[in-house]
Amino acid sequence: MPAIEISDLTKEFRVPEKNPGLWNAAKSLLRRRFRAIPAVTGLNFSIQEGELVGFLGANGAGKTTTLKMLSGLLHPSSGTANVLGYTPWQRRTAFQKQFSLVMGHRTQLWWELPAQETFRLNQEIYEIPDAQYRATVEELVELLELRDCMSIPVKKLSLGQRMKAELAVSILHRPKLLLLDEPTLGLDVVMQKKIRQFILEYNRRYRATILLTSHNMDDVVELCPRVILIDHGRLLYDGSLRQVVERYAPHKVIRADFNEAVSPVELARIGRIAQYQGTRAVLEVPRGEVSPRAADLLTHFPVADLTIEETPIQEVVRRLFTQAPSKAAPRG
Amino acid sequence: MSKYLYVYTLSLQNVLQRRASLLMDRVGGIATLLALYFFWSSIFKDSATVAGYPKAQMLTYVLMMSLLRSLVFTGRGWEVVGEISSGRLSNYLIRPIRYLGYCLSLDLAQKTVHCAAAVFEISILILVLGAPFHIPQSPQTWVLFPIIATFSTLLFFLLEFLVASLAFWTSESGGPLFCFDLLVQFLAGAFFPLDVLPRALQAALYMTPFPYLVFFPIDVYLERAPTEMALKVLATQGAWLVVVGMAAATVWRRGLRNYAAEGG
Repeated sequence: MPAIEISDLTKEFRVPEKNPGLWNAAKSLLRRRFRAIPAVTGLNFSIQEGELVGFLGANGAGKTTTLKMLSGLLHPSSGTANVLGYTPWQRRTAFQKQFSLVMGHRTQLWWELPAQETFRLNQEIYEIPDAQYRATVEELVELLELRDCMSIPVKKLSLGQRMKAELAVSILHRPKLLLLDEPTLGLDVVMQKKIRQFILEYNRRYRATILLTSHNMDDVVELCPRVILIDHGRLLYDGSLRQVVERYAPHKVIRADFNEAVSPVELARIGRIAQYQGTRAVLEVPRGEVSPRAADLLTHFPVADLTIEETPIQEVVRRLFTQAPSKAAPRG
Repeated sequence: MSKYLYVYTLSLQNVLQRRASLLMDRVGGIATLLALYFFWSSIFKDSATVAGYPKAQMLTYVLMMSLLRSLVFTGRGWEVVGEISSGRLSNYLIRPIRYLGYCLSLDLAQKTVHCAAAVFEISILILVLGAPFHIPQSPQTWVLFPIIATFSTLLFFLLEFLVASLAFWTSESGGPLFCFDLLVQFLAGAFFPLDVLPRALQAALYMTPFPYLVFFPIDVYLERAPTEMALKVLATQGAWLVVVGMAAATVWRRGLRNYAAEGG
């Protein structure tokens, strides 16, 4: 049975419509008009138990709205969802004890009190047996290097420390499903790496299903073999991360070092110049023509060294979301 | 049950942690208490009874009012409104804990601290100013008053929760609660006994739940009416609790359907 299965999930928000100006503000006092804004439209996907999936999209694409429906915070306008065998928005206790939603910019820790107090509170809320609680806390404190942070009031912690504590307190009950919304937001590179290692470790150790959104492509590249891309609330792509590149990157990248400076004008016939520094250049070449162009380069230029690479995933996804949606290829 | 108990103890710590804010609240309360106390004292200079109240009863009314203010009127309405409109409510909705129970636990912690402070302040006032203070004579009163005071507390809690829930629809949110806060203390009799008002107005007020928050409970405490009256107060409070409780539950359920889980 899949951990998550959604079909035709749709959510529209009703927002008050207001034209600019004082007169219109006064008018809207008397009669307010609403407009339905589609946030998610006819979304379908299914995720197997133990999968680690990246959920990507530009700002406003509908990622968070989807996560909120999956965690039972929002009722969809139409469509169905089955999460761990439950309909999330019925908010059954048995369901809530098995998942966790972590939002990078939200905190559930009690601000004025030390983090360990919220840990204890969650023990009570999730009814975790003492022995399991102690073992889990010990393990998490070790893995996330939290020992020094536990007895300090949360408001005195650094963002990185707080985020680690946040993650730890969210998985005290060892959820089978983890929904992570921007888990590395605002963290420095070292801390990002630690969080990522931890997510991977958690996924492996407990066969937990993890769905994660991030604008940090390093998160996605390092963690998620599979990605789901959405745009304007619609599914754009669902499949392996590698294939995103093949499907959506029409170019490969040739990096070349030269023995002597070459003319950019001549280089331009090989491919689009992405970078040029006299004796070094990065060129974008249409996928199908890589071999003849590389041969041309080798024959007619003083090439010292040459590599052919895929377009970096970061770049591909960035382009995908800066393109008009109509230009993006249909879902696969 | 133990989760709510833990919320209570945690919240107790939190209230005590915020010493400055606690102190400010108390200073505000004492100022109101002193103002009313001296106001009524000066009125009683010229006459032995005012509006049917002898001096000792009226001053006891003022002191008990101060106690009930700390017990009944320390709600969580503004926090509820804030959590709805900022979307922080989501934090509770995804956990196996009931938000209403969670709020009540938090509120009870607040009430514990404030009531302890109020009892202390009132004792000081009685000792220092030699304020005349009515002590109930009949054992029925000693039994009934605590129950009635508990019902008042729950009734206010639910009323405020009901009004705060309107924040699900009014996206600017604070409006209904602001009006409620403004009127409720006056309508409940938290400034003066309601039977000094014109009869018609009294009759109208008695149709609402508000006098059952402060006025009738103190009336019972002062033993101004026979025991049957106290039982009637208790029964009416019970009825209001059911009505307001059901309304709050319905509004909350509908509100949740409307909830946009705002923010990120």
